[in-house]
Amino acid sequence: MPARMFGSGLAPRFPSPPADASDPILVITQEAGVRTPIGQTLRITPLVQQGEVVHQGAPVACLRDEPSVQFVAPMPGRVARIALHPGRKLSEIVLFHEASGDIVQHDHLAATTEPKLRHLMQAAGLWPWLRRRPFGGMPPAKERPAAIVVMAIDTRPFAPDPRQALMGRKDSFARGLQALTLLADGPVFVCQQAGPPLFDSADRVHMVECGARHPQGSAGIRVHALAPATIEAPVWDIHAEDVAALGDLLAVGVLPTTRLVRVAGAGLRDSRLIRTQSGADLRELTQRAALPGAHMLISGSPLDGHVAHWLAPRHRQVTVLPSPRPGSPKHWFIAALTQSALPKPVIPTAALTQAFGAALPAAPFIRALSAGDDEMAMKLGVLSLLEEDIGLADYVLGGEAHLADLLRGMLDRIRKEFAT
Amino acid sequence: MNRGLWDRETVALMLLAAYMPIALFWLVYGGTGALARLGIAVLILAVWNIAFMLARAQPPSFAALIMALAVAMLAPEDLGVFHLLLGISFGAVMGELVFGGWGRNVVNPATVALSFLGFGFPGFAWPGFDDPVIWAAIPAAVIGIATGVMPVAVLASAFAVGCAVVVTGVPLPENVLQIAGLVLVLIVADPVTSAATTLGRWLNGLLYAGLVLLFALQWGGAAPVQIAVAAALLASLATPLFDEMAVSLWIAQRRSRHGRN
Repeated sequence: MPARMFGSGLAPRFPSPPADASDPILVITQEAGVRTPIGQTLRITPLVQQGEVVHQGAPVACLRDEPSVQFVAPMPGRVARIALHPGRKLSEIVLFHEASGDIVQHDHLAATTEPKLRHLMQAAGLWPWLRRRPFGGMPPAKERPAAIVVMAIDTRPFAPDPRQALMGRKDSFARGLQALTLLADGPVFVCQQAGPPLFDSADRVHMVECGARHPQGSAGIRVHALAPATIEAPVWDIHAEDVAALGDLLAVGVLPTTRLVRVAGAGLRDSRLIRTQSGADLRELTQRAALPGAHMLISGSPLDGHVAHWLAPRHRQVTVLPSPRPGSPKHWFIAALTQSALPKPVIPTAALTQAFGAALPAAPFIRALSAGDDEMAMKLGVLSLLEEDIGLADYVLGGEAHLADLLRGMLDRIRKEFAT
Repeated sequence: MNRGLWDRETVALMLLAAYMPIALFWLVYGGTGALARLGIAVLILAVWNIAFMLARAQPPSFAALIMALAVAMLAPEDLGVFHLLLGISFGAVMGELVFGGWGRNVVNPATVALSFLGFGFPGFAWPGFDDPVIWAAIPAAVIGIATGVMPVAVLASAFAVGCAVVVTGVPLPENVLQIAGLVLVLIVADPVTSAATTLGRWLNGLLYAGLVLLFALQWGGAAPVQIAVAAALLASLATPLFDEMAVSLWIAQRRSRHGRN
């Protein structure tokens, strides 16, 4: 594509107060919610009772069908509420922070073989931090991926720089990478910005340089380019900071549960970088920094985030946006001029091509998505993509194409028709 | 929630902005006659767009103004209002509105309307253009490329063929290349009906230029506008094939590189 000479992708700008340049501060919220990874509804077995006190890292629930995969407490606390949907599907487990709590120590020395490493990762609560493609969500307990893509770059607006999260943790990162090679049949790719490699060379671990514009740092676009996911050959991706956490777990037996998170958006007085736990309470993270008036708390970036109460399991961004003001209803003639029953068609432009990072034929892909042409979409690489990867395209098209909904519908249909 | 700009109407407005230099020069040199033709075309298209809005809940698009400009500029001269009404109605309805409006059409409605007028009323002479109107196609193409709404590859490949023709000194009838360039920018570079893949766009531009060359050399007595419009129509019919070829090639390359899609 011609735009490659300038570096493909786009750099959408969103209003936000300037970032505080100081080092990230540690913020442990008084409440935290344990949830399933985005896009998955999982049947679980609670392992704790309401009111029970748990240590940091203690299991609070496990999968009903694969009990070895556990969800753990991100902080020492008291179980405040266990909310399940019908069918024993996890809605949320809410914890109140208990400052005097302890930390669970795992037997890390035994994790020298693949089965023992899997068991350690699943018991320590690290498994939900992995994500598989196709279809998304965490991988089944015994799955072996064709490749693992480690994202040490994040090009979404307001995303914290993974290199900052890895500062001083080179050994942990290298240990984590080495462990990941045990889990995969194929290579482990580390995607990072141009610059010195973040790890010393290792067998089956490859460094991949990516452009600085979005979606070059999007995991789906990288998977699509490096090791396309198929139903027979799933590919996992994991954030580089989580790989370093795996390295720490293997070194000392304790899984770090805090992560580097950027809080930004037009609804804030100050934008800041913090370290907080997975499942942190978004209201508490933003309560002193938010501007007066109604606003939306979004877990994730302005492109692909969702309104939430808790920081989602893999998210490292909190976006605060002013709530849209309800307008007066349009006159019927104006509404007829501007609205339609069918979604408006997508016009192929350079912006659309760049919204996919020039990684695939954008217009044929959108047509396949809109028409429900599953087979063509699979040939074009839909199995490597998830909603967050096409968030930029959805944004660029003004939100009228509803690509994320179309993609989820198609992936669910493919899973039903081809993968079972 | 946050929204980007590039919905259908933004693209239509950007295209309209790109065509402004052509429209202004054409109106300046064409005078009230040109203005009247443009007014009639806009009126006919407005009526059809409102009719489809009311009948099929199909929102109208600013792209109708682009069609009005193209038809008003390129339609045979001295056609009466009734002939224009017939031609524009056929082009707008059968070329665009029945498919669901701009963005879902297969061929450019202006091409359909002009072909209808050309075939239906062959006794009327095709228009010629003053040089400034033709040169205004260059800033129009630049604006279209800079805003990303015109396919660069279509313009570049057709331009490359034009340059090759000039360099090799192929004897072409007067003004064919210039008017083919104007039609290239006005009609062929439509982002909806031109090819949607990079390879397809290169082939699209090459075919258009090749057909112009063929018609110019072999179609005795044809006017330059007639040649360009016929080439545009045939080239747009071939674009789905080019896209299919480009996508198949892309899939095959990917399969050979990764062993899977």
